[in-house]
Amino acid sequence: MTTLELRQVNKHFGGLHVSKNITMGIEQGELTAIIGPNGAGKTTLFNEITGYITPDNGGIFFNGVEITGAEPESLVKMGIVRAFQVASLFIDETVYDNLCLAALAFHGKNWNIFTNRSVYKNVEEHCRFILERLGLSGKEGLKAFELSHGDQKVLDIAIALTMKPKLLLLDEPTAGMSPDERVKMTHLIRAIHEEFKLTTIFVEHDMDMVFGIADNIRVLVYGELIAEGNAEEIQKNPAVIEAYLGHEVL
Amino acid sequence: MNNKLTTMAPWLAYFLIFGSLIFVGGDHTIHIASQVIILGLFAIAFNVLFGTTGLLSFGQAIFYGLGAYITGMMAKSFGGDFFVWALLIAPAAAIVLSVLLGVLSLRLSDVYFTMLTLAFAQLAWGICVKWSSFTGGDDGIQAIPKPELLAGGLNYYIFSFVIVTACLYLLWRLDRSPFGSVLKGIRQNPTRISFIGMNVFRHKLLAYMISSCFTAIAGGLYAGIDKSIHPDMFVWTMSGSIILMTILGGMRSFFGPLIGVAVFILLEDEIGRATQYWSFVIGAIMITVVLLFPKGIVGISRHFARLFAKKGGQRDNP
Ligand SMILES: Nc1ncnc2c1ncn2[C@@H]1O[C@H](COP(=O)(O)OP(=O)(O)OP(=O)(O)O)[C@@H](O)[C@H]1O
Ligand SMILES: [Mg+2]
Repeated sequence: MTTLELRQVNKHFGGLHVSKNITMGIEQGELTAIIGPNGAGKTTLFNEITGYITPDNGGIFFNGVEITGAEPESLVKMGIVRAFQVASLFIDETVYDNLCLAALAFHGKNWNIFTNRSVYKNVEEHCRFILERLGLSGKEGLKAFELSHGDQKVLDIAIALTMKPKLLLLDEPTAGMSPDERVKMTHLIRAIHEEFKLTTIFVEHDMDMVFGIADNIRVLVYGELIAEGNAEEIQKNPAVIEAYLGHEVL
Repeated sequence: MNNKLTTMAPWLAYFLIFGSLIFVGGDHTIHIASQVIILGLFAIAFNVLFGTTGLLSFGQAIFYGLGAYITGMMAKSFGGDFFVWALLIAPAAAIVLSVLLGVLSLRLSDVYFTMLTLAFAQLAWGICVKWSSFTGGDDGIQAIPKPELLAGGLNYYIFSFVIVTACLYLLWRLDRSPFGSVLKGIRQNPTRISFIGMNVFRHKLLAYMISSCFTAIAGGLYAGIDKSIHPDMFVWTMSGSIILMTILGGMRSFFGPLIGVAVFILLEDEIGRATQYWSFVIGAIMITVVLLFPKGIVGISRHFARLFAKKGGQRDNP
């Protein structure tokens, strides 16, 4: 079954054509990577899928339902959740409170005005589970701004996972991480993808990670989807080799 | 345990100070204290928008004036016994008005929100001054009747103290509620709020309604202090002094705005008696606090508390 389908999606920024007639289908349970040079339009594509911007034309469908132009908050409720290229956090709050806010929203408690938020045991359990699973236990009392760059990215992903996504979009999940952290994050993404039965799309420049865990790879160059396939097919694809300045993709 | 103590300590201080005044305060002190708690409620309600949600309304005086005029005019028309009922109608009217104004202004960017709120309040002030047959114009309204029981200054202080305390308790609950967390989230990162499935505008609107509702209660209570109200309650300097007092006290703490109001009013009273240049002195104090201690008086005391704790060999609280 196709979870996400894009039909002829176009987006311009002034004279810049950042999404060129993009058509693709992502199957349920797929772990797919989107690669491409800087400025190729990868983040823009994520912005279109998650409702942050609306494409000029074309259609986006989630489980067969058209979602083009829908608001981010309604897409999150449908299960389309993202993490950001630059971690998007509640920077003065603790790690725990960052997750707690997401969990309160997930459990629909956000309109409760006069209850103390510590009374919701299911919210607390939810947060503890995510903390534990993402290896943030022990850091729950730190303020978000006190975290290392790598941990901020982990927290950003943790917030996304708290929303129990069906379709998870990760924009450069290992950006700014140390080599050790990268390896850990790579394994974690694969594990979580399976454990939570997700459909996952991630953008990544780190080719070890891309070829290591992605079922499928899509290559975006100057707004155009130039190739699709598994690791082997992509590595041999002449257009892809061309796009990466004549170097063979590792 | 220790944690519980630190959250309860400000409440303890609040009850000790404002409660004990009931027994020891003279007429003048009671008069000042009434102003402090009523404006304190205004400032803390304002801070739901400002310090918590990150929304600078430059026109909360519109709800303060509205509350005062509804209460004053109703009591004047229907008699003193109606005074207490008018205190219930005022916040209801404020909620209605805040929905109208909020829908118009809260979708705009922050600067436009600030300017529009200012414009609305100035408009209300203009109407209040010009429509003198209805509102009493420049002279305002005098000799507002109150129920017999609330006639004396002390009785009215006790009455205000009970109402203000109840309101503060509700606002304090709000601050610690899930909704309160959402508001703090909106201040820090509204984009992320939408990406965890919440509508920023609707949460801001509810915050605006709540803030306005409690502001109108403060306005209504004010109508009973001197039994007189005037159009200046709507004017931009009213909104402006609430902003100043809130910053002076500390906008990141629940009781900070109340402390700011208390310091401001006490200084005004003391220095105002000594020199006619009191506003210069207040200005100088404001500049000093804002430049040296951007977190206000509460920030200063926390700073010294930390220094003290360090000297005692304790670990700094993270
Ligand atoms: N809101 C915007 N307004 C105007 N131009 C934009 C906007 N967002 C992105 N762009 C431009 O569109 C192009 C694609 O940007 P995008 O962020 O999608 O690239 P990317 O593939 O994610 O690149 P990177 O690998 O550097 O993150 C860039 O040239 C960028 O400057
Ligand atoms: Mg990008």
